[in-house]
Amino acid sequence: MRRLVLLLLFAALALAQTPTGEPPPDLSPEVFRIASELRCPVCQGESAAESNAGVSQEMRRQIAEMLKEGKSEEAIKQYFVERYGEWILYAPPRRGINWLLWLAPLIGLLVIGYGLWRYLKVAQAREAELALSEEELKALERRLEEE
Amino acid sequence: MRKWIYFAIVLVLGGLFWWGMQRDPGELKSVLVGKPAPDFELPLLPPYRAEWGERFRLSEHRGKPVVLNFWASWCYPACYEEAPVLELGWRKYQDRVLFFGVNTQDKEAAALDFVRRFNLTFPQGYDPHGKVGIDYGMYGVPETFFIDAEGVVRHRHAGAIDARELEKRIQEVLP
Repeated sequence: MRRLVLLLLFAALALAQTPTGEPPPDLSPEVFRIASELRCPVCQGESAAESNAGVSQEMRRQIAEMLKEGKSEEAIKQYFVERYGEWILYAPPRRGINWLLWLAPLIGLLVIGYGLWRYLKVAQAREAELALSEEELKALERRLEEE
Repeated sequence: MRKWIYFAIVLVLGGLFWWGMQRDPGELKSVLVGKPAPDFELPLLPPYRAEWGERFRLSEHRGKPVVLNFWASWCYPACYEEAPVLELGWRKYQDRVLFFGVNTQDKEAAALDFVRRFNLTFPQGYDPHGKVGIDYGMYGVPETFFIDAEGVVRHRHAGAIDARELEKRIQEVLP
């Protein structure tokens, strides 16, 4: 009987664990969603949601606090921009010179597409140039038969 | 024509490379430079309470330039290198400049060991979560902000500060 109780107790404790990868229960997924759009200031390529650095933990705590105060997502992001500059945002705002960043992949695709189109056109023209005409083919066939 | 296009591409890429090489990767410009220093209130570490009170509020000390230094006992070696420099600076300028240390994201016992080790006599606040650091857009300890007598941030120094830099920046904020 005691064994059964112990077994049940352990099973209950095991179930009570937070599965890894999920946010701890004290912060809402909304906090992590906003934090995922902000950089961790002391990390390399990690967002404030993924990082466990002290400053990221404090950022998440402050985001939770601001959400509780009823602040909007935009206002929360602005709070961090006022302190760190736009660098803190993972996605640069779509204005001014930043458009170049947003459009760079499209421009790159267009340039590659144009290059490919030019290449294929030239290759096609060369192929057409080298191809034998009907008359030439017939003449060759005749020569083969004669030989 | 094609030659000129290639030449222009090489010129642009070369120019970008040269521009990149001129930039100092250690330079972290703060967005706060030229703006009022964010106000804060922190509890002081016990050894400073007798002279400075239980808590320290920045806005209560306007009228004097402020050297605001963020540090932690785990920040080795940078914080250990600059601690004696800051203490010397404080002893030299304490009549004209206020020095304030913010111990950030640290354990109080470790912070107390640190201030005893370097015999730091300028007031030290305790900010275990690093809230004030975020208010100042801090990247990592140590960082030092120079605030003029009007309460405007004039400069941010990232990394350990040496005596020459400290002297230069203090001269810039002195009225």
